[in-house]
Amino acid sequence: MSASKTLLICWLGLVLLSVGTVALGGLGTSLALAGGMLAVALGKAWLITDGFMELRHAPLFWRVLLFGWPLAMAGGVWLTLL
Amino acid sequence: MSISTDPAVLSAGVARRLPGDLAMWIFILAELAVFGILILAFAVTQMLHIDLFRESRLALDSSTGLALTLGLLTSGLFAALAVEQVRGARQDRAGWLLLAALVSAGVYVVLKLQEYGHLAGLGYGLEYNTFFTLYWLLTGFHFLHVLLGMLILGYMANRCRIGAYAPGTSRSGLESGVLYWHMVDLVWVLLFPLVYLLG
Repeated sequence: MSASKTLLICWLGLVLLSVGTVALGGLGTSLALAGGMLAVALGKAWLITDGFMELRHAPLFWRVLLFGWPLAMAGGVWLTLL
Repeated sequence: MSISTDPAVLSAGVARRLPGDLAMWIFILAELAVFGILILAFAVTQMLHIDLFRESRLALDSSTGLALTLGLLTSGLFAALAVEQVRGARQDRAGWLLLAALVSAGVYVVLKLQEYGHLAGLGYGLEYNTFFTLYWLLTGFHFLHVLLGMLILGYMANRCRIGAYAPGTSRSGLESGVLYWHMVDLVWVLLFPLVYLLG
C-alpha cells in the first residue's frame, strides 16, 4: 500500500473515531462512557503517532515514548474519574 | 542532526529511523510535558469540583468541538501528504497541499475565535469560575501553538514554491515542521474529550 493511501486511511479512522467520541459523549455521563471516550482518544493518538508522525518506521524506544504520553494522560484522567 | 530516511529504504527493512531532526523530537517531548501538566491539572481540579465542571461544560458545544477536531485532523492529513509529495520530487503539489493544510487550520482558528467570542459575550471569562479559568488557559495555550504551527506551514509552503526541497537537498526541516503540526493534533485529541465531554 502506498504511503498516501496509508495516510488517507489514518485520516478516515481519525474522522470516524472523532464522530464516535461525540456520539459517546451524547449518551450521558458514566464511568464506562468516560472510559470509552478515553479509549477512543488513545486510538486516535495511535493513528497520529504511528500514521501521521511515521513512528511505525522509528525505533521502538521512540514509538513507546511518544505513545506513552497519551497513555499516561488517559490513565491519569481515568484515575481522577474513579 | 538529520536522521531522515526514505520510506522505500524503511519498507525494505534496512533501517528503522526517526523522521525529522532529533532536536525537534526533544522539543516535542518538552511541549508534551508542559501540556501534560496542564491536562492533569484540569483533570484533578475537575475531580475536586465535579458539579461545577459538569454545569460549566454545558456552555460548550460538542458539535463545535467536533468541527474543530476535524479541521485540525484534515490539516494534519494535508501536511503529511505534502511530505510524501516532496519525497516524490513533486514540490509544486507539496506547496499546494501545505496551503490546503493552512486553509483547514484556518477553519479551526475561525471556529475557535467564534467560540471564544461567544463565551466572552456570555460573561464566561477567565475569572468567571475555576472551569473557565482552566478552559481559557488550556485551550488558549493550545491555540497559540496552532498559530505558531500555521506560521511554520506557511513558511514551508513558500519554501516549496521556490523549490528549496529539491531532490538531493535535506528534507529534515520540512519533516520537523510537519511533526510539530502533528504534535498540535496529538494534544488536541486528548484536550477535546477532556474539556468538552468528560466528567
